[in-house]
Amino acid sequence: MATTERLTATESTADTILRVRDATVSFEMDRGTARVLNGVDLDVKRREILGVVGESGSGKSMLASAMLDAVEEPGRLTGEIIYYPEEGEPVDVLNLSKAELKRLRWEEISMVFQGALSSFNPTMSVRGHFTETLRAHDADVEAGMERARELLSDLYLDPERVLDSYPHELSGGMSQRALIALSLVLEPNVLVMDEPTAALDLLMQRSILALLSDLQEKYDLTVVFITHDLPLVAGLADRLAVMYAFELVERGPAAELIRDAAHPYTRALLKAVPNLDAPLSTMRSIEGSAPDPVNIPDGCSYASRCPLADDQCLREDPGGYGAGPEHPVSCHHWRRADEAVPFETEVGE
Amino acid sequence: MNYIVKRTAQAVFTVFAVITLSFVIIRLLPGGPADYLRAQLIQRSGGSLTQEQINQRIASQTNIAVDEPLYVQYVDYMASILRGDFGTSVWYSNEPVIAVLGPAIPWTVFLMATSLFIAFVLGVTLGAFMAYREGSGFDVGSTGVSLLTNSVPYYVIALLLLTFLGYRMELFPTGGQYASETTPGLNLEFVLSALHHGALPILSLVLASFGGWALNMRGNSIRVLGEDYLRVARLRGLPERRIALRYVGRNAILPMYTGLLIAIGFMFGGSIILEEIFAYPGVGYYMIQAINARDYPVMMGAFILITVAVTIGVFIADVTYGWIDPRAEGGGTRESY
Amino acid sequence: MSPTEATSDFEAVSETSLSKRERYRQTLDEQVLAPLRIVWSDWRARIALFVLSIFLLMGTVGVMLVPEPSPNQGPALVGAFRTLEHPFGTTYSGHSILSQLVHATPPMLKMITAGAVFTVVLGTAIGTVSGYKGGAVDGVLMTLTDVALTIPGLPLIIVLAGALQGSLSGNPYVIGLLLSVNAWAGLARAIRSQVLTLRDAEYVEASRILGVPTAEIISKDIVPNLMPYVTMNFVQQARAVIFGSVALYFIGILPYDSVNWGVMMNSAQSQAGAVSSPEAFHWLLVPMLAVVLLSLGLTLFAQAADRLFNPRVRARHTKTTPDEQHEDDEPDEPTPARMIR
Ligand SMILES: Nc1ncnc2c1ncn2[C@@H]1O[C@H](COP(=O)(O)OP(=O)(O)OP(=O)(O)O)[C@@H](O)[C@H]1O
Ligand code: SF4
Ligand SMILES: [Mg+2]
Repeated sequence: MATTERLTATESTADTILRVRDATVSFEMDRGTARVLNGVDLDVKRREILGVVGESGSGKSMLASAMLDAVEEPGRLTGEIIYYPEEGEPVDVLNLSKAELKRLRWEEISMVFQGALSSFNPTMSVRGHFTETLRAHDADVEAGMERARELLSDLYLDPERVLDSYPHELSGGMSQRALIALSLVLEPNVLVMDEPTAALDLLMQRSILALLSDLQEKYDLTVVFITHDLPLVAGLADRLAVMYAFELVERGPAAELIRDAAHPYTRALLKAVPNLDAPLSTMRSIEGSAPDPVNIPDGCSYASRCPLADDQCLREDPGGYGAGPEHPVSCHHWRRADEAVPFETEVGE
Repeated sequence: MNYIVKRTAQAVFTVFAVITLSFVIIRLLPGGPADYLRAQLIQRSGGSLTQEQINQRIASQTNIAVDEPLYVQYVDYMASILRGDFGTSVWYSNEPVIAVLGPAIPWTVFLMATSLFIAFVLGVTLGAFMAYREGSGFDVGSTGVSLLTNSVPYYVIALLLLTFLGYRMELFPTGGQYASETTPGLNLEFVLSALHHGALPILSLVLASFGGWALNMRGNSIRVLGEDYLRVARLRGLPERRIALRYVGRNAILPMYTGLLIAIGFMFGGSIILEEIFAYPGVGYYMIQAINARDYPVMMGAFILITVAVTIGVFIADVTYGWIDPRAEGGGTRESY
Repeated sequence: MSPTEATSDFEAVSETSLSKRERYRQTLDEQVLAPLRIVWSDWRARIALFVLSIFLLMGTVGVMLVPEPSPNQGPALVGAFRTLEHPFGTTYSGHSILSQLVHATPPMLKMITAGAVFTVVLGTAIGTVSGYKGGAVDGVLMTLTDVALTIPGLPLIIVLAGALQGSLSGNPYVIGLLLSVNAWAGLARAIRSQVLTLRDAEYVEASRILGVPTAEIISKDIVPNLMPYVTMNFVQQARAVIFGSVALYFIGILPYDSVNWGVMMNSAQSQAGAVSSPEAFHWLLVPMLAVVLLSLGLTLFAQAADRLFNPRVRARHTKTTPDEQHEDDEPDEPTPARMIR
């Protein structure tokens, strides 16, 4: 299987490119402080594709923004985010000067936002977006545009036509691909993608994913792919991280996590998908709702929906269990999860 | 291109409709100009004029030959207006209407264009700053001032300016277009005098309308500031100045273009009252004079001229909109209004 | 029948009735209480209601309390705020300005109502029919609308007033209509494009398939969605009528059969040269202040009404529907209120 091959490849060169520690985003509100990202730890490995999965409102976009120190006012980001370039000193992302941060963004770590069409200035041609970005970073515009054309062709777009278009003249799939090209024009090492395919039809989603995997190889990219659609990334990602209620509850190698999911929530997610190849538009099919970010309960935040919940779960924060060497899980009873939430269909076949 | 053709046809049709309308007003309105002129002529001549002579007089004044069949009257009227023949004035000793109004046109256009431009630029700049400092004391204060000035009719402002700056402090002239001792032409004295005379009318319109533009711009800018593309632009490291002009400015101003179309008509309407207040001999001034003197040919001529000016202004704005906003192909800019 | 079944039946019944009551409560909340709460929460609305009530009171109770204006109510040209008897001073011929001001209010209110109602009814009717019928009807109506939209309002009104000098009466309702002669066009355009988007909405489609007559679809499904535009244009036209009527009375080209603020300004200028002579300035100033105050009230009302129709603000004030968004509201959405001039 392709996934396992790539997995062994990453493991051999495994070193961390982005280290996230205790990342917390809080909003001061009338009702109290809302923590919409709650002490997240995560290592992104060099040249891997990391899938981050979670239901709507679980804090995925917050995590993505945090990686570029781009959380919007009045949200406050605390914790530690370290970027390790291939050569040179590690970069403490949250303590950069304005100029350094500007260089980090787009030149080292780039981002594709949810909703491509709204990421473009509606009154500027696509070409304008490329040239202004190159100019803003004092890059060689000529060479940069050459690269832009190559990227666009790599994404199966007609470069001149797209460059001369205005955003509204592109279809959803075209503008999404143009946005990916724009995010790569300054040759970043890390690409964070927040639901890049959410608004597209199934065929377009799959073809963009295929293109993405080619791009990743060609340009040696590290990709963080955020989505609410687990089956979509399952085949693409080397590793998966599952988000629930503003925290990461489980992460591990993609194949292992899908085969032996250790967290009841992950298992419920997988169970909600009878066949991994089928689309899953929303994960709200799991009963119950996520906790309020202002009053995150003591103990396990999944307890109100979990069939295994007991007193311990309500009292103690579950943390630091390992379901495998590279497979941390936040659940006191992860060993019993497979009995409590069995898969009805054979996933392995 | 297709859009321009369509818009041109629409503008031509509007002019055509306006001339038709003025024909209806003159000829068909019961108790309207034709009836009135006839009554006047009969009364003044004390019955010495024959029916034919009366009809001839009416025809020369209004371009409408009342004894012809209605459709002939209509076609004749349309033809003479299109030739630039608006009839002859009753009041100004039978001068052609165009000779009375023609010299007034540039003055009215000068007042209107200048006020519109100043009010727009001032309002847009102020609104943008308010949006950038949303919620600050400056924003709240400016919003209050804008709301207040927007509620004061321009003629109230005009009367106040005239009273205080014109009469009490004697800083500005209280009538006319330029000082009589200057000679019209491209000389400094004349230009300064014209500006001095135009200052109060222009100031009245500017004060009455910049607040509306400012509030409009503020709202649009705040909306644009919350757009995704602005966030992406910042992450791409674009300089703040480029973001302010090319992103916020442009995207916030474009929707106001529609308002500009409406403002043109509004301004020309306002010019009539203002020119009367400041005794400023523009088209509107003659229009009111004509109404008071029952000089219908001049009145209708002024109406047609003003309407055609507005139609041309709206046409230019409409067509250039498609050119500055890439999304506006095929037009329909007024749909959103 | 076992007791358990009975209980569950009972429960079922009580549940539906409760949810019905619940629904009723929710409707009440959404339709009546939420708007009131919004109005109460907004200072602009409070000021607006206060100002508008003053004028309404002036036009109803005021005319009964304040004596009708007549010559020699007092000495000529008493200044404003000098005597208790004539708080706003007197005119050249000794009319009390307060009397004039108050007795000019009812015709003004009539004029406003006539003009605004006319605009709103005609604009809505033309826009709805045009958008809903489409085809040739739409073509003709929209061509007319475009012409009406381009012809500047005030010059047209002035020309009509001038041409009708002989036959026009000073009846405030007639003047109100005259001042609104082409104001319906803007509303008709806005309504039409709204109707176009609504026409294909699912629920409208459904009614059509069920064979509901066109008139009923229009009145039940479409008109309620157009209320924000209608309200905005009502207020806007009310302001336009005030501004226009006062202006035209001031320059003396509208007929009148009762005292009017614009006529007061005209007399102040023509009889006493109020602009150039300080002793008569109050005569000009008082009616101008009335115009400004009333129009300010209407502007603030429009702003508050804009909030009322802004679904995001509204949701925050409807207590029975869970509020999902904790974000700050932003009353500056692009809405019809923008067009207020
Ligand atoms: N400005 C804000 N103030 C307060 N809370 C906010 C704000 N922005 C977002 N949130 C909350 O933060 C939480 C996480 O938001 P986030 O956008 O990261 O979710 P998400 O997982 O990306 O969801 P989606 O799939 O819908 O994009 C949500 O519950 C949201 O309500
Ligand atoms: S810790 Fe307890 S409540 Fe939380 S997921 Fe595990 S078993 Fe369920
Ligand atoms: Mg998101």
